Amino acid sequence: MSDLKITNLHKHYGAFHAVKGINLEVPSGEFTVLVGPSGCGKSTLLRTIAGLEEASEGSVEIGGRDVTYARPRDRDIAMVFQNYALYPYLNVKDNIAFGLRARKFAEPEVEKRVARAAEMLGIGHLLQRFPRELSGGQRQRVAIGRAIVRDAILYLFDEPLSNLDAQLRDDMRVEIKRLHRELGRTMVYVTHDQIEAMTLADRIVLLRDGIIEQQGAPLDLFERPENRFVAGFLGSPKMNFVKATVKGKTVALADGTALPLPQQSKAKSGQAVLVGIRPQYIALAGPRAAAGHARVPVVIELVQPTGSRVHVTLPLGGTSIVADLAAHDVSKPGEKTHIDIDMTRAIVIDPATERVI
Amino acid sequence: MTAAVHPDRNFKYWLVAPAIFLLLLIGLFPLIYSLVVSFMRIDMMDTDTSFAGLYNYANLFKDARLWWSLAHTLLITAIALPVELLLGLAMAYLFLERMPGRQLFVALLVLPTIISPIVAGATWRLLFDNRYGPINQIVSFFAGERMDLLWTINPNLVYPAIIFCEIWQWTPFMFLILLAALSNVDKSQLEAAEIDGARFWRSFRYIVVPAIWPVMAIAILIRGLDLFRIFDIIWALTQGGPGTMTETISIYAYVQGFKQFETSYTAAIAFLVIAILTVVCTWAIRRMGLAK
Amino acid sequence: MSALPFHRRPGPRLAFRYVLATLLVIVFVFPVYWLFSISFKTPDEIFAFPPVWYPASIQFSNYRVLFKDGDAWTVWNSLVLASVSTVFAMILGTIAAYSLVRFKTGGENLAVWIISQRMMPPVAIVFPIFLLYVYLGWVDTFHGLIILYTAFSLPYVIWMMRGYIEDIPLELEESALVDGCTRWEVLWKVVLPMARSGLFATAVFTFIFAWNDFLFALVLTRTEVTTYTVQVTHYFGGQSNFWAKIAAMSVLGTIPVFFTVAIMQRYLVRGISMGAVKG
Repeated sequence: MSDLKITNLHKHYGAFHAVKGINLEVPSGEFTVLVGPSGCGKSTLLRTIAGLEEASEGSVEIGGRDVTYARPRDRDIAMVFQNYALYPYLNVKDNIAFGLRARKFAEPEVEKRVARAAEMLGIGHLLQRFPRELSGGQRQRVAIGRAIVRDAILYLFDEPLSNLDAQLRDDMRVEIKRLHRELGRTMVYVTHDQIEAMTLADRIVLLRDGIIEQQGAPLDLFERPENRFVAGFLGSPKMNFVKATVKGKTVALADGTALPLPQQSKAKSGQAVLVGIRPQYIALAGPRAAAGHARVPVVIELVQPTGSRVHVTLPLGGTSIVADLAAHDVSKPGEKTHIDIDMTRAIVIDPATERVI
Repeated sequence: MTAAVHPDRNFKYWLVAPAIFLLLLIGLFPLIYSLVVSFMRIDMMDTDTSFAGLYNYANLFKDARLWWSLAHTLLITAIALPVELLLGLAMAYLFLERMPGRQLFVALLVLPTIISPIVAGATWRLLFDNRYGPINQIVSFFAGERMDLLWTINPNLVYPAIIFCEIWQWTPFMFLILLAALSNVDKSQLEAAEIDGARFWRSFRYIVVPAIWPVMAIAILIRGLDLFRIFDIIWALTQGGPGTMTETISIYAYVQGFKQFETSYTAAIAFLVIAILTVVCTWAIRRMGLAK
Repeated sequence: MSALPFHRRPGPRLAFRYVLATLLVIVFVFPVYWLFSISFKTPDEIFAFPPVWYPASIQFSNYRVLFKDGDAWTVWNSLVLASVSTVFAMILGTIAAYSLVRFKTGGENLAVWIISQRMMPPVAIVFPIFLLYVYLGWVDTFHGLIILYTAFSLPYVIWMMRGYIEDIPLELEESALVDGCTRWEVLWKVVLPMARSGLFATAVFTFIFAWNDFLFALVLTRTEVTTYTVQVTHYFGGQSNFWAKIAAMSVLGTIPVFFTVAIMQRYLVRGISMGAVKG
């Protein structure tokens, strides 16, 4: 059974077409992440699910019920907002209890649920404080607490971590993932951060310009992107794209380097293509190249250490590519060496349609 | 599309409806009524409701007392408004920097603004009394001889009296607004200017004035409008006298309407006032850069 | 650090500022002092020549007369009119402002029309209003003046509350909607608490507008709901023997406003400048 079903959803703001015919089904208990660059319509889509925006066309079903024209309060949803949306004039406890009281829960039940939610989030000692007395991370926990005290069918998150600093963001990500496992609820989560999307999602829905570019399990999208946008959006550092021409079972780069054509590719001989290679699938040459790997001589251009890994810029086929290498392997700029490229995981793109072929 | 409608669609209209109803009743109805009546010839004797054309409007131009009342209004505004502004600004500067007891000083200085204008007028009536009022005592003290000035009767003194009272009551208003505006001026800009060697007048002219202008413009507009319709203080001090010497447009319209019962003519005056205000306000709002 | 240009040698300058400040306070407060002092003087002291600068003893007989004659009731009338009309204007104005801000009801045109009503000079509408009230039988009634004051304050309330409501993060309201509030509950449980200081400040000024009104009360009241402002002018009889009453009545009518302002003062600056100064 699906807890959320969106059919042919459109949203216009005057002349601006923000959401262009989205179809989406979210099964019960799944953690779905809507991700995409800013302006892609992900937040509008989420707000339309919540009923904070009216759909211009199409329908929204939550828990098998058509709620396209229902008030937010009648949709059986809970939502966590980007700026926490805590009421400054209420203390933490009353903030968390707000939704329960609005729905006329009996006070003993409110107490019980608030205590449980506070315990889950480790904020039991903060209940009497006011939002202004809390740190950013604590506020975010309260905001999440306010959502999880409710028994909603659907939990919505609108970029809840984007106001936190990097360290806290990592901690909260773990926290949210844990909560999802413990509660087993259906959650829809919006972010522009692809790492957040990859780590949290059971399923990623990648949007651009109001349409879904691709959806699926995070690794599916990472390994088998359907087009150049998806390939380029996910992964860090970004995928390298190198111009090439297909020649039989190989692709020839501008400088004449020939790489094996990935087996799954249906590119025809003689076709001009882009070869997409993830920085993670490039390694310094080992004792011998594995099957489907290409060994290429290179000169190291630039070295950016990031700790355990190092990002190395290399010239290849008339352009520069980035390789993500283990830190201890690294050499200095100007050094000549060989790299192995795992071409079984490379993708081939038709530059005209930008689709993977 | 389905026929279903979002449930809260009319909520926003329910919210504004009562306010708009009242505004129409109290704001728009009188306008329409005045417009209609101003084309008739209704007065105390005559209830002729036939169309009289521009009869009343033509009379406006022949009515010297009307134009004098406008001139009186402008005279008071032209003197009181700049004085209030400059004095208020100077006072705001005086209290801008922190000093012990500043709050108390400010609180005391604001007293005149929070008493009712009619009481302000009454107070000055008592102060100005030629025999038992303290003003003549103070004047006599400085003049070195006994002065017996008839402030609210002597043609040479009524305007100073009215304007004095007006300035006394409303300078604190300017002061308070400008003090708040000056406190919000970005200090880093001033410090930068000081490092660049700018003198007081230069940084005042090029940093302070532009920064406080939006607030100052609104203050001038509010006070200008209030001065244009000045009624209470004059009513308390002179009731327009001696003769009609201090009759302002509001006093004159009141006299025409409620003493002479010139219904149609009063309506025409009301329209003249509204026309003048509309033109002046529109011009001022554009000129002062208040329009978005 | 000093905020604005011209600051050097703090010592003598500070002394100079105190001298100037004291002079200003004397000039601006003396009339108020004089009014209060007359109200406590005996007739002999009031009509002494040269004037006596302070009463020999504080005595309340001037006030006692006002209460005995029933004139003091006009302060009560003013209080009722100003309070009730303030409550109505705040309710109607705040919900209208909320609609203008949150739903852009009527667009910019409606907002401009409403504020233009604030520019309307009372004298331009008081005559037709008088005739309307005669027709409706509302002259010299509480509800007549309350409706008038409410309507006359609405543009100010709407204008001010619009500014305060614009400052409320939309997320707070949306969160409440999702959490199960109706639109009305959002207004009640989120918007009003968030705009609390704005509500207070606006209410104070709305109250003062109605409290200070003279022209409408002069025209639209007779004997039943005479306000204190009109009552004060009843003593302007040409002869000076009503001085004590003028002063005592004025003081009675001033004290409620003094207290209101003193209690609310920290909210008031933004209200006085019609929102031009934020904070």
